[in-house]
Amino acid sequence: MAGKPMTGQAFFVLSALSGGPRHGYGIVGEVAELSGGRVQLKIGSLYGVLDRLAVEGLIEADREEAHDGRLRRYYRLTRDGRGALAEEAEVHAAAARVVRARLGLTGPTAAGAAG
Amino acid sequence: MSGGLGLEQRYRRVLRLLPGYYRDKWEEDMVAAFLDSWHSGDPDDDEWALEFCKPTWGEVGSVAALAARLYLGGAATPRRYFAWGQAVRNAVLAVVLVHAVLVLDVLVRTAWSRRVFGLPAPPASLAVYAPTGVWPTVFYLAHVAWMVIFVTLVLGQYRTARVLAVLAIVPGLVALAQAQLTGIMTAPFGPWAFWVLFNLVPVLGMTAFHSDAPPPARLPWLTALPVGYLLVYGPLLAAQATGNAAWLPDFSGLLCILVAFACLVRVPRAWSRRAAGSGVWSLTLILLAAAAGAYRVIMLSNYLHDPHLIAVSLAELVILVAAAALVAPDAARAQAAAPAPPYPGTIAA
Repeated sequence: MAGKPMTGQAFFVLSALSGGPRHGYGIVGEVAELSGGRVQLKIGSLYGVLDRLAVEGLIEADREEAHDGRLRRYYRLTRDGRGALAEEAEVHAAAARVVRARLGLTGPTAAGAAG
Repeated sequence: MSGGLGLEQRYRRVLRLLPGYYRDKWEEDMVAAFLDSWHSGDPDDDEWALEFCKPTWGEVGSVAALAARLYLGGAATPRRYFAWGQAVRNAVLAVVLVHAVLVLDVLVRTAWSRRVFGLPAPPASLAVYAPTGVWPTVFYLAHVAWMVIFVTLVLGQYRTARVLAVLAIVPGLVALAQAQLTGIMTAPFGPWAFWVLFNLVPVLGMTAFHSDAPPPARLPWLTALPVGYLLVYGPLLAAQATGNAAWLPDFSGLLCILVAFACLVRVPRAWSRRAAGSGVWSLTLILLAAAAGAYRVIMLSNYLHDPHLIAVSLAELVILVAAAALVAPDAARAQAAAPAPPYPGTIAA
């Protein structure tokens, strides 16, 4: 991301693709699941994010599949995308560790750190 | 059967809000994802939805927001959209700067009125005192808020600036509506024009400040505030304090003169072969000239009783149009050959 802070939507979209290639609506569903229903992407918002991520070289088209007479395009993370996501996830995880320590909480720190 | 448009066609109509280059790239994918989002798994329900349903307001809003972001482009948009985006961002900053300078004037005169500087008391026409009562205080705070809006916008706190700006323009709207409804406003065009051109339009223009847009150049814009005050309001204040206020233009005339002067300063670069294609600032000045010119024309209605003031106003208008015409060719070129989108980078100031 070249120093540009990653938006919450971009983080969730990249996270949705971390489990493998997904088509547009598949990303919407995965983002909703990952965020516990807190992030409900509209299609206009999703493609604004996808366009930016594609321009930045963080995602790319994977394949197209026919479905109900339409072509569904699948997207996947690029190597840069994986790196940017890992970096951002580490930032969230580090912040979560600090917060958990301050609150005196124990147990796994990674779960829920992305939220 | 509805006999009309299906869901897909309705959504494609909404997508027409987007620039052509973007639709070429993404439309089919967006339509497929959108229609997927309507699948319930029940064939009867799906058929009914495809036939009769419309895109939700939320979906329409997301496409409209995307369209605004693309037309007022930032990094990675085609150059002409980037040029328009930069020009709108510069113009909004310039208008908000004028508001901030006005606030600075009020603050300086308030301090002077309290003799903070150890100076003699100002003439009564220049004195400003802290407001009393609820509504005057609300108006005072709404006015002073423009200083905060300017600083937050320059510092890249766009959401804060937008929220404050919306709050700052509401009292003016309420006051105008109240004055209009009670019939106490004898010349309504000027106040309404000011509110629309220099309150509402800049607030709407703040949509150009999005995460893809290069951040403003902080130092030049922040420096412009005290420098603008000293260069513009210093002489005005001196003229008023020495009893020469009759020579001063009214606010719309002052805007015409300032924009015309800025156009003339821009002319050498606009006509330079070396600078050809760097005309984002020329496009900015054309936008500002359009606003100042429109306000000047509307304010003519206040002077219909006075041929001298009409002549002065028309002269200001002619000067503005002539100066703007000098940079117009460069502004036209800016759309085709603006600087490549820099990121991270800055809005030239």
